[in-house]
Amino acid sequence: MNTTPVITCKNIEKKYKNFTLNVENLEFPKGFATALIGENGAGKTTLLEMIAGLRLEHKGDITYFNKYSEDDRENNLDIKNKIGYTGTGNYFLPHWNLEQTRMAQELLFDGFDVRKYDSILENLALSMNGKKDRNKKVSELSDGNRTKLMLAGVLSRDTELLLMDEPASPLDPLMRDKLCNMIQDYIASSDGQRSVIFSTHNISDMENVTDYAVIVENGSVVEQGFVEELKEKYTYVKGDIEDLKAAEGYLYDVTSSKYGFEGLCLSENMDKLAGLNLMCETPTLMQLSVGIMRANTRLGKAGK
Amino acid sequence: MKISQNLGIPIYQQIAEQFRSDILEGKFAQGEYLPSIRGLAKDLKISVITTMKAYEQLESEGLVTAVQGKGYYVNAQDGEMLIEQHRRKVEDALLEAIKYARIAGMQDKELTETLQTLLQLEED
Repeated sequence: MNTTPVITCKNIEKKYKNFTLNVENLEFPKGFATALIGENGAGKTTLLEMIAGLRLEHKGDITYFNKYSEDDRENNLDIKNKIGYTGTGNYFLPHWNLEQTRMAQELLFDGFDVRKYDSILENLALSMNGKKDRNKKVSELSDGNRTKLMLAGVLSRDTELLLMDEPASPLDPLMRDKLCNMIQDYIASSDGQRSVIFSTHNISDMENVTDYAVIVENGSVVEQGFVEELKEKYTYVKGDIEDLKAAEGYLYDVTSSKYGFEGLCLSENMDKLAGLNLMCETPTLMQLSVGIMRANTRLGKAGK
Repeated sequence: MKISQNLGIPIYQQIAEQFRSDILEGKFAQGEYLPSIRGLAKDLKISVITTMKAYEQLESEGLVTAVQGKGYYVNAQDGEMLIEQHRRKVEDALLEAIKYARIAGMQDKELTETLQTLLQLEED
């Protein structure tokens, strides 16, 4: 598919004591929502923070909006303004009240839409009594509500790229649904100009807003692609236990019980399984991710 | 438009199918644009890429044409194409019928007779 990248990562390398992030070539498509999927400690947050400019020291290049370098991002306010970021921590000072978060962001960001901020806060049930709630301190909010506050802030700005680290994790199911709607509204509001990159463990909750998936394991990208293409690349197979031996070699990832087995298979290998009595399904994003993650974790272990 | 998440049919095919029948039934005028990809994705609460794939499928079938930056408009449905589309549906339905006939152990002759009887009933 012909797409323009919103973010291009080339030969990124960052070494830590026990961990190296190594991304040779990664392009996030413009106009789509991309999910970063991977185990805890796989490198999702590090990567997002690098793109957001929160971790500056690393090898390799990141290109923004297909033309700007990292230096441009640092020095050109217009570019900085186009990028919004929410992390898992809390970037508002704990003793601020809601009114102060509003004022601070209005000062900090060009194009911060105060009215939109208020209406999102209301929509997210963070403020209902107008002025009275605005005296509520950030430190009094729950984790979920702090995330909502950051989401409201970032969505009230006039951005073209949203970077969100685990936005769904602290949210309840109702709010996750709302988050999905907000991401879709954001993407739909510009006809292809706005992009979202988010990391998530809540793959099933987010599947319906995920266009492109990047699966990260052990500091490297092990699979990436448009979800619909990945669903064709892999097939989910289920079979009887007698066939396990014959099929095992071709399966990317397999789990078995005394009744049968199931696993992920590269669709191009399906003809090698011909003759076995198998049930074939299009994998869900969850099955895909878990299969690929598990296959790569195991490879890592085998190598040791 | 109704989309089922657990029908076992890929969502993009469900969308394509509904637009296909709408177009063939003339619910879209020639030259009329389909809903915007991102707008439809938002309304159906599905991903943009799924909607895109549905539209690309319709394009490959010649039902719609993509215009860079504008979207997909409905092609003139010439008679031949309509007939071809419906022929395909007939074949699919008959293949389905054959499958069930095999399961039921019907002889080929019995199957064609059933078809003839049904045709007769239809005419009456």
